[in-house]
Amino acid sequence: MINAQNIVHYYQKDVALNGVSLEIQEGEFVAIIGESGSGKSTLLSILSTLLTPTEGELSFEGIAYKNIVDIDSFRKKNIGFIFQFHYLIEYLSLRENIRIAKPKASDTEIEKLLSLLGIGKYADKLPNEISGGERQRGAIARALINSPKVLFADEPTGNLDSKNADLVFELFKKLSENGTTIIVTTHNKALAKKADRIIEVKDGTV
Amino acid sequence: MFKNALQALKINRLKTFLVYLSLTFSIVSIFLIHSIANGIIDMYSSMLQTDGDIIITQAKISDTFFSNVDIGLIAKIKKIEGVEDASAFVIGASPVESLPIVAIYGVTKNRFKNYELVSGSYPLKNEAIVGESILYNLEDKKNITVANKAFKISGVFKSEIGFENGGVVINTDEAGEIFNKSASIVMVNAVVGKEIEPLLAKIAKLDKNIAVKSTDNFITNYNQFKIIKTSSTVISFIAFIMGLIGIVSIMSITIHQRRSEFGIKRAIGVKMSNIIGGIVSEAIVLGVLSFFSAYLLATLLLFFIKNSAHLQGYVNGEISLTLAFGVFIASLVMVVIGSILPAINAAKTDPIVLIQGNRS
Repeated sequence: MINAQNIVHYYQKDVALNGVSLEIQEGEFVAIIGESGSGKSTLLSILSTLLTPTEGELSFEGIAYKNIVDIDSFRKKNIGFIFQFHYLIEYLSLRENIRIAKPKASDTEIEKLLSLLGIGKYADKLPNEISGGERQRGAIARALINSPKVLFADEPTGNLDSKNADLVFELFKKLSENGTTIIVTTHNKALAKKADRIIEVKDGTV
Repeated sequence: MFKNALQALKINRLKTFLVYLSLTFSIVSIFLIHSIANGIIDMYSSMLQTDGDIIITQAKISDTFFSNVDIGLIAKIKKIEGVEDASAFVIGASPVESLPIVAIYGVTKNRFKNYELVSGSYPLKNEAIVGESILYNLEDKKNITVANKAFKISGVFKSEIGFENGGVVINTDEAGEIFNKSASIVMVNAVVGKEIEPLLAKIAKLDKNIAVKSTDNFITNYNQFKIIKTSSTVISFIAFIMGLIGIVSIMSITIHQRRSEFGIKRAIGVKMSNIIGGIVSEAIVLGVLSFFSAYLLATLLLFFIKNSAHLQGYVNGEISLTLAFGVFIASLVMVVIGSILPAINAAKTDPIVLIQGNRS
């Protein structure tokens, strides 16, 4: 589904990724692990089109990233992204935050998704009116509202307690079983073991 | 989109307020500069337009203040077929009491009918009638001294034209003595329906030292008006650029501080055009709000300027519909340009770079 060939990325003069090649199959649940600064988040950002690599070739379902004309529509249709920090827009309610990703989402659709994540009653709350774990679940709802083919998550449990972290990974597992490709970075090896495959990044290489 | 724009403005209160202030004062400046400049032009134009179809000044003189035309021409002009009437006035300025500059008009008796008298009649020798506005400023309301010559105030008139309402009217002979000239301007009324052009040619033949123009032509080509208009346009343009720089700066800071928000929006597939549209919407909301605030503030300031005793009614201005519309468009252009440049810059950046800030 996603094919990366010889990906190189520099931050100024520092090499973050040095010739990474990998392939991810449809419906796979992949955990990318590595030390802090190893390049795992950079790799995830590149795979998800959020960062343009300095060098290398990437393709999604056989289409090269560089040939995608409307990258915004491509992301909306195919990709969901969850960050370590929720990054919900502070002046919008959970419902409105989700509507940014899918303006035509009905109230029922949003409430159903939020209920599935256990935060149905907070649909009209602002992010600062709910707990950290609830905010993160709100961010997950925003990433899932368009039913993406691939869900990317960068340290999604970094700010969560172990109970909430387990819940999030259980959710990823279920989504994967239903056909969604999941690519997640984590430094928690125990959680990573719940994935189908583990990719370790070390000093910018796989 | 506008609902979200309002929410975004509300959450970024300080920056919103700064942009609002910057915009409002830029627009007020543009309003005041233009309306006061236009007011001065309108006052002088109205004064000339009420007096006739043809204006005669001294040839090759760039300002009517320095013009000297033989008042004896009036009798000759009146004999030309198609001329209904001819009048003259002397324009001068003199300090009066504590007022540094007061307009002094020496007018022929037939021009005197233009004044709406509150009391008194055509000023005889050693008599002066004064405008309501200057009367208010005078300590001695019975006598007035113009260029060391004492006059008895024999009447009061009122005029919508600020220059006149703040001025003093005496007879042409005494004005001529004070300002050392026969007349500044001679004005001619044509018989209704009569062609002006042939009259211009006939009058011009009477004296080689005069310039004869139709009133409309005179006003259109009067150099002082051109200078005032050009100056006001240049100053307004500078005010516009200052406002624009202020908005671009503040919007750039605002957008920089909201980079992660724009990064997230791009990461979840919001179109670049929608992000730019959102920012421009915020700017338009601010632009419209600032325009109406500026309109109200400028109207209020112009009212106080018009009624300020210190300005004797000489500084006057109204915001015309054309000016308001022009400034409204200029305001929108200002905010759109001011916001779209940093917005495009943000929208072009990789989402993760926006989210992570300076790490790129």
